[in-house]
Amino acid sequence: MGTSIYHKLRVLFILCFATGFSSSIVVQSLKQYIMKSYFEKYECLIDSNFQHFIAHQLPYALCEVVVPNAVRFSVLKRRLIGEGSHRHLSSSIGFHIKPEFPFHFCEVVIVERLPSGVFADPFELQHLHRRGVFGDIAVFGDTNLELPSFLSNRSAVEIHIDVVGSNVVLRDENELEINIELPLHARYLPLDDSGYSTVEFGDPDLFMRCNIEATLTNQVCLFTPTRDRAESKAGTIMWKIPSGKKAHSGVVFIVTFISAISTTLLIVLASLFCSDIDIRKDLKKS
Amino acid sequence: MKLFDVWSVLLFSAIFRVLLILYGEWQDTHMEVRYTDVDYLVFSDAASLMASGDSPFKRTTYRYSPLLAFLLIPNSIVHRSWGKFLFSAGDLLVGLFIHTILKQRKVPEDLCIYSVMVWLLNPFTFTIGTRGNCEPIVCAMILWIIICLMSGNVFQAALWYGLVVHFRIYPIVYALPIILVLDPRFVRSGLKPLLLNWSALGKAPQRSTKVTHPYNVWTALRGIFTRGRIMFGLVSGTVFLSCTVFFFYLYEWEFLHEALLYHLTRTDPRHNFSIYFYNIYLHSEHEFSLMEKLISFLPQFILQLVVIFCFAQDLPFCLFVQTVAFITFNKVITAQYFVWFFSLLPLILPWTKMKLKWEGLCCILLWMGAQIHWLMWGYLLEFKDTAPYFNNKSMQIPAMLINLSE
Repeated sequence: MGTSIYHKLRVLFILCFATGFSSSIVVQSLKQYIMKSYFEKYECLIDSNFQHFIAHQLPYALCEVVVPNAVRFSVLKRRLIGEGSHRHLSSSIGFHIKPEFPFHFCEVVIVERLPSGVFADPFELQHLHRRGVFGDIAVFGDTNLELPSFLSNRSAVEIHIDVVGSNVVLRDENELEINIELPLHARYLPLDDSGYSTVEFGDPDLFMRCNIEATLTNQVCLFTPTRDRAESKAGTIMWKIPSGKKAHSGVVFIVTFISAISTTLLIVLASLFCSDIDIRKDLKKS
Repeated sequence: MKLFDVWSVLLFSAIFRVLLILYGEWQDTHMEVRYTDVDYLVFSDAASLMASGDSPFKRTTYRYSPLLAFLLIPNSIVHRSWGKFLFSAGDLLVGLFIHTILKQRKVPEDLCIYSVMVWLLNPFTFTIGTRGNCEPIVCAMILWIIICLMSGNVFQAALWYGLVVHFRIYPIVYALPIILVLDPRFVRSGLKPLLLNWSALGKAPQRSTKVTHPYNVWTALRGIFTRGRIMFGLVSGTVFLSCTVFFFYLYEWEFLHEALLYHLTRTDPRHNFSIYFYNIYLHSEHEFSLMEKLISFLPQFILQLVVIFCFAQDLPFCLFVQTVAFITFNKVITAQYFVWFFSLLPLILPWTKMKLKWEGLCCILLWMGAQIHWLMWGYLLEFKDTAPYFNNKSMQIPAMLINLSE
């Protein structure tokens, strides 16, 4: 037990500090990504670090001009679409913008902090970006697609959506709805006795970056819209992913190697008897 | 009666491949599921990085020789399908080389054409090339090496062999049979090794020469280090090392790690055709012991030695059996690996005593059935979450047995 915890801690240490290549694949690097700043300060995506980063290290200073509760949002719908290891995380987010909020231009920034065991393929997102499905989108964190979950770090997807865009439905002048479907993939999860492991998605983190009239130089301001908890209908999303059973280890090991060794012997015998080397004659001679 | 010659088969295959590439373009633009192989996108990205002066290894999961990225530079200059045309041309060359080898081994023309058709009209192979998989190029290089050896051109064979091992590491297992086939007892004038010629079924096959002269340690040692063997070893080794040093100079450890060392140490815990996959997954949380590593390596090693020992005199057959054994006991098997022995299969078909009706047909159906059966469990696991890993695993053993029994 102690060895196992030590091993896990060692793996975590190696993952977070030794490799130090928490990569980011930015589909289009014209915009300033929040998660890029986060990963410049931290090696791994850890919720407490992220909360601290949002609370203390994001440049909110320019946003004093913002009308109180200028933008409110609620998560209208959030669910996983599809079956198997490749699914889509569908989110529908509604915004209410106060008419007196003096903005020229706004973009919504959505940060999906993916749970351990799930990843987004940056190259797939790049393909979707090229096809116009997404605007600016980037994956940060561990983007190695091939590692099982216990050897990989968490990653996050950051999506930037212009308030007037293809993913946005304007309900009326002050109401808008954003719909996104993010393709996600399951990693190989640690062994579990039930044969399935469950990963849980938290709520997305939402920000707005607006160009505001009232400031002296029309500065771009980043702020967090207020969450309208009363209207939010989204519950916790669970993804049940098949995993290997520890109980199989012994049987699988034995069956695998018995079949490998016995078939090897069979082929060896068949090869010796089928080739031109006359074993029977040689055996008689000896 | 000859219905068609090899050129008409090649022409038909070429037109068919062009149509498939065009269809692929259409599917890629109009449908969510792409026709193009995901690896082709990796090659193309790596090629475009190389074109802009960057390292192709900046593209994650690019684990090939930089030569491949170099070949695909026109993808970002001429057209993105350039590589598919190149790979399909390699695919057609394989067809042509099969014909050349069989003709040299005096196989009747109709059998040559049937064998060529086994490669060119195989749905598995024509989709591999047109979807943008580089394996046909490797297969063409290997067949060309056989042609060079059969024509006595050991120097050229060595050049290509060094290159193909650099390009894709697995042909390293062919080194020993090639060295053995360059045996002076089987090599006639002009370093031309004698291979088994075709003879009508029922007649005794014309085996090359029989050793009649006395054989002692000195002649054995002298026989090992012949001019042909030393030249082959030196030339192929020099080509391989030159490529490695050159690309190490350009891309440093990234190249060595991604293109070379990764393939030697690769153990993939994700589901694949290998019998070892579930065992690797179940034990991937801890390091494998030396004993476990040895047990999984031994079958491959023993089989390579035995197969070479038994069949080295018939080079194409030996390479075929070696490849099947190597793939079957590999720790990772993906569908593209099957192409490696599909290209060698037509070279041995004219010698088979098996009739297509019904024995041959049964074998084909059994092999396909085993693969489809495995794929069904793979599909249920990956796309439906309904199949436990154990089912997936248990299906691999019959699939492996069928694979071997063919």
